[in-house]
Amino acid sequence: MKRNAAIIGCGQTKHSSKRRDVNVAEMVSEAVYNALEDAQVSMREVDAFIVGNMPGFGGIAQPEQWLGDWIGAAGKPVIRIATGGTTGGSVGQGAYYPVASGLHDVVVAVAWEKHSDSKEAGATSGLLHVGLGNLFHAASYGLNLKNLMAMSMVGAAAGVAVYQAVFYMHRSGCTIEHFDMVAAKARRNAARNKYAHLQWPGCTPEDIAETELLAYPFRYGHICPASDGASAIVVAEENLARKKARRPAWYKGLASYSDEENQLQSENFGGVGVLDPSEQRGCWVSAMKAYAMAGIKDPQKEIDMAELYQPFPSQELIFAERLGLFDEGTAWMALEKGETDINGRMPLDPSGGVNATNAIGSSAMQRILECALQIMGKAEEHQVPKKVSNAVAHGWGGVTNYSTVTVLGDSPGR
Amino acid sequence: MGFIKDERPQTICVEGTWSLSSYHYKGSKLLEQYVKGLKQKKLIGSFCPGCAKVILPPRNLCGRCHRIMDGRKTVSDRGTITCYTVSPAITKGKLKVLGMDPVETGLIKDGEILIPVFVRFDGSDSNTDTILLNAEPKAVHIGMRVKVIWAKEPQGALSDFEGVEPI
Repeated sequence: MKRNAAIIGCGQTKHSSKRRDVNVAEMVSEAVYNALEDAQVSMREVDAFIVGNMPGFGGIAQPEQWLGDWIGAAGKPVIRIATGGTTGGSVGQGAYYPVASGLHDVVVAVAWEKHSDSKEAGATSGLLHVGLGNLFHAASYGLNLKNLMAMSMVGAAAGVAVYQAVFYMHRSGCTIEHFDMVAAKARRNAARNKYAHLQWPGCTPEDIAETELLAYPFRYGHICPASDGASAIVVAEENLARKKARRPAWYKGLASYSDEENQLQSENFGGVGVLDPSEQRGCWVSAMKAYAMAGIKDPQKEIDMAELYQPFPSQELIFAERLGLFDEGTAWMALEKGETDINGRMPLDPSGGVNATNAIGSSAMQRILECALQIMGKAEEHQVPKKVSNAVAHGWGGVTNYSTVTVLGDSPGR
Repeated sequence: MGFIKDERPQTICVEGTWSLSSYHYKGSKLLEQYVKGLKQKKLIGSFCPGCAKVILPPRNLCGRCHRIMDGRKTVSDRGTITCYTVSPAITKGKLKVLGMDPVETGLIKDGEILIPVFVRFDGSDSNTDTILLNAEPKAVHIGMRVKVIWAKEPQGALSDFEGVEPI
């Protein structure tokens, strides 16, 4: 028999492009202590830690082995989870299972990234498997250098997102101007979130439209930053949650279903079997399963707000549809009407989202944390004005094939 | 609460290096058959006995039905653009790939615009990413029919497939 579990405390660090004042362990401990303080839980009450960041990013391959002491983990279980961009989502879901199963009563989940410790954007060592390995392999079979240039230009995550965006534009009718609107909204919302990275009060779509076109349809102003930062949540079983928190954020439903690999190439430079990278079947299945577990039949009516993993603005629209928050191909129309604004009918990423703050390993965790803040009523200046009873947090990553969907609510549900 | 520091305004930056050549990436021989096909100006994809998908370039395993894709099928060298992107004009000093400036090395003409595309070749069930050549950037569109530009003297290398051009 599963037990109910809830988030009773949240902690973050300020996000910026370079946290030169701290090392990884010090940065992670900041988030953990902030979360414990918020939950009014002492270090002694914590039973276990679930931790995670992107493997190899920030130049340290196994930081969890070093930072254990800094988060008070001595004598307690520590499990590290890494699933690429979804890492934070998997860490946030990973904290649920030991509590729901009855193994532990209080679990702390913490996720982080410290990009500035590495000179390489995206840390070469972390991408050795899919990126460089494939490249060396193809080079050994005489890859055309001009093709290589073209691939590099749209390479890595941005490259996948470029094609994904074009597919979505073609089938939905949305335009580049809608991406300007999403990016401007993300920067405006971030300006109300004291922990966010790219803050731009009063940013307009016209401001974004003035930035340089990098690769059609993306402009410089559309792209997420690389941030340093950490985020942590405290997850507790029902009795303790009710005692400690005035309004805990309950885990109502969660799911993580994979899709086929759908980056540019599969292993050994082979092709991929997904024709439309904006299809994102894994997200769609995850959403259906998570809603079923949460007892949500009509997400358009029952979900009050969402935090989506949108490093690129097109992804806010694509994933909002995949999560069933809008009908197929209509998210951009809702955007035009202001429905996705902080005070709209279905606020999307009121925190500014990944588009404004991207400490990769932590980014999907922050979506869960931000939904919890909205339910707990602790989001301060970026609290949405409407009552939040159900919120959905989304994560996306891997070789663009992993998804996490977590439904939080103001009651434990069924 | 916690270890919020105030004694040092900055951490000490310790430089270190790590050689990528200390890793050994294991590739399979799949591409060997593929490049042999290119030498004969043929596109050979892998065929899935489970779902009948043809994937180009070939791969070992079908991601959808988990069958070994040991069948082979030659597909047409004509196909349809399913997706594209357009680069800004690439000028000297704008871009560095693997430490090289592509304009300086002569790979790309100063001010050239690159058009990376996805092409679904007739008879295949996957997108092949390549570049569109001999075309105006404004003319590129989803659904555009294209054909492979083959090297004049194919060597049995990936570079035999230079790109695609409009039919």
